[in-house]
Amino acid sequence: MSLLQLDKATIKFGGLIAVNEVTFQLNKGDLFGLIGPNGAGKTTCFNLITGVYRPTSGEILLNGSSICGNPPNQIARLGIARTFQNIRLFKALSVLENVVVGGFLRHKTGLGSALAFLPPAIEETKRLRADAMDLLRIVSLDHVADIRSADLSYGMQRRLEIARAMATQPQLLLLDEPAAGMNPQEKEELNGMVKKIRDEQGMTVLLIEHDMRFVMSLCERIVVLDHGEEIAQGPPSEIRNDPKVIAAYLGEAV
Amino acid sequence: MTFWQTRLGSIALALVFCFSLDQFALHQNSFIQRLVVLAGLYVTLAVSLNLINGITGQFSIGHAAFYQVGAYTTGSLAGAFFNKAHLPGPAWLILMMFAGAIGASLAGLLVGLPSLRLKGDYLAIVTLGFGEIIRIVVQNQKALGGAYGLTIAPRFQAIWLVWLLAILCISVSRNLLKTAHGLPFLAVREDEVASSAMGVNVTSVKVTAFLIGSAFAGAAGALLAHFEGFISPAMFTMDVSFIIVTMVVLGGTGSITGAALSAVLLFYLPEKMRDLSDLHLSTIVAVGICLVIAVASIKRLMDHFHGEPRKRAGFMAGVVMGAVVLVPILGALLNNFDPLKTSVEGSKLRLVVFAVTLIVLMLLRPQGVFAHHEFSWAWVRKLFRGTVKAPEGVA
Repeated sequence: MSLLQLDKATIKFGGLIAVNEVTFQLNKGDLFGLIGPNGAGKTTCFNLITGVYRPTSGEILLNGSSICGNPPNQIARLGIARTFQNIRLFKALSVLENVVVGGFLRHKTGLGSALAFLPPAIEETKRLRADAMDLLRIVSLDHVADIRSADLSYGMQRRLEIARAMATQPQLLLLDEPAAGMNPQEKEELNGMVKKIRDEQGMTVLLIEHDMRFVMSLCERIVVLDHGEEIAQGPPSEIRNDPKVIAAYLGEAV
Repeated sequence: MTFWQTRLGSIALALVFCFSLDQFALHQNSFIQRLVVLAGLYVTLAVSLNLINGITGQFSIGHAAFYQVGAYTTGSLAGAFFNKAHLPGPAWLILMMFAGAIGASLAGLLVGLPSLRLKGDYLAIVTLGFGEIIRIVVQNQKALGGAYGLTIAPRFQAIWLVWLLAILCISVSRNLLKTAHGLPFLAVREDEVASSAMGVNVTSVKVTAFLIGSAFAGAAGALLAHFEGFISPAMFTMDVSFIIVTMVVLGGTGSITGAALSAVLLFYLPEKMRDLSDLHLSTIVAVGICLVIAVASIKRLMDHFHGEPRKRAGFMAGVVMGAVVLVPILGALLNNFDPLKTSVEGSKLRLVVFAVTLIVLMLLRPQGVFAHHEFSWAWVRKLFRGTVKAPEGVA
């Protein structure tokens, strides 16, 4: 059984069909790419999966059961975490605190214990902070743990978003343009980092990216969207030579 | 020291503080007693509103409504049950605090629920409207005394309990921020979409904030009712709500100590100014002119001068001292003009001074006196050491 399955997922905003009958499936441990020109419906796809929008028709299945209609926080609980195209960090919080928020789903003690500042809540806070520190080490941000997250450089903010998403301990990690705004060296590091996350943490990764070289070298399978339609699917070598994909990106040959 | 030793120690310290304040106030006249009680209640109100406005980022401007619900809940309970209950005073008061808290938190739930879909200005309007609705409904209820108000039979001067409540409120907020459980509240303030993607139930966080915040306001209302022995809708007008909001904003939205200190200051300042003697109009005009000059130059300094913090503080102190020196000189000069020779009753200026203080502070420090910082010794040390060196690789 596949981990995530989109079955003819469709969403219409009035007369506009943003995503039209998109069908693909991810298996556990996949490194999956979702690409397409601007406005192809990639981020809308993410919003469908994470419950920001509800599909007009079609199904989205996680481990074989439908997750359509669940609010975003419930979907996070089911094991899907994401990053955002336009970085959405908790700006006033420190780098470490941002990641600790991601540990919210693992809270075992109640709010009452925290309000009374009882040992279980204190212990839990310590544990969550230690876990968060481990994650910061993975994305190599441990040296700036106490800085306000808004003061980080762009590339660091993107990495912090990944660490924060990983803190929810998801089965599936959705990365929305993780390499946007990064320089070639940072992209190279990110490439290794994502592979490491998949191999060592056992997370399945689905990512949107514009940088073709980055996607082609990282992902094992790719889905191409254009105008909300799925136009190709397959390993990078096939996608690279697909006439439809070339047409979508560069225009038709005259 | 073990955890429980520290805990018992701090509880004992709080009790000692409250009882010594109580003893101190008992030897003063009733005016001072009133000040001490009301200051304590305002600290509770400001810190509890800070939980909703500052920490969770929900702009509520109807806090007086919860205060009122607490006061009236216990007011009517006292009328009905006090004589039958045969409880000693403090026990009854503590019971009433809980009753007020429960009553007000039910009201908080009522406002919290629509706030699920409303943000910013819209929520502000709803809470404002709610506050007025509560006040007007009470005003028209014969059973609750209507506009004449409600007399509460047992009166208690429990100054210690008032301040114990304030300390409890401060510690609850502080504990929330010290544990991982407080971070979802801050996260909701920062970004709701990202919080829900992290699994945070934004709705329940907001409702919880309203519940806790209004519960403390309700408990404060209960103590007010039993201290005054009389409550009327006129004591819970919009002005009260706005003063509480002002305290939170002035102290620095999100800062617990900021809210607590500005509550004491903003409450004490207008009361203290009742003692002002008569002043010459020329002096007032001179103060005004110097204030404008000082504010303008400090603002310029802050906008364009990014030097060493200590040097900056030195310049500011220089400007303030210059203004202080300038006031009497300018006053003497202005006194030569006949129209300025009239004298003005000093106590009438209190609200003017209050307003001017707010304007000046908001001009110079829009983020509030404490901004999002807390008063702590580490912070004081950092202030004196100057800027903290940023680690490598930070933009």
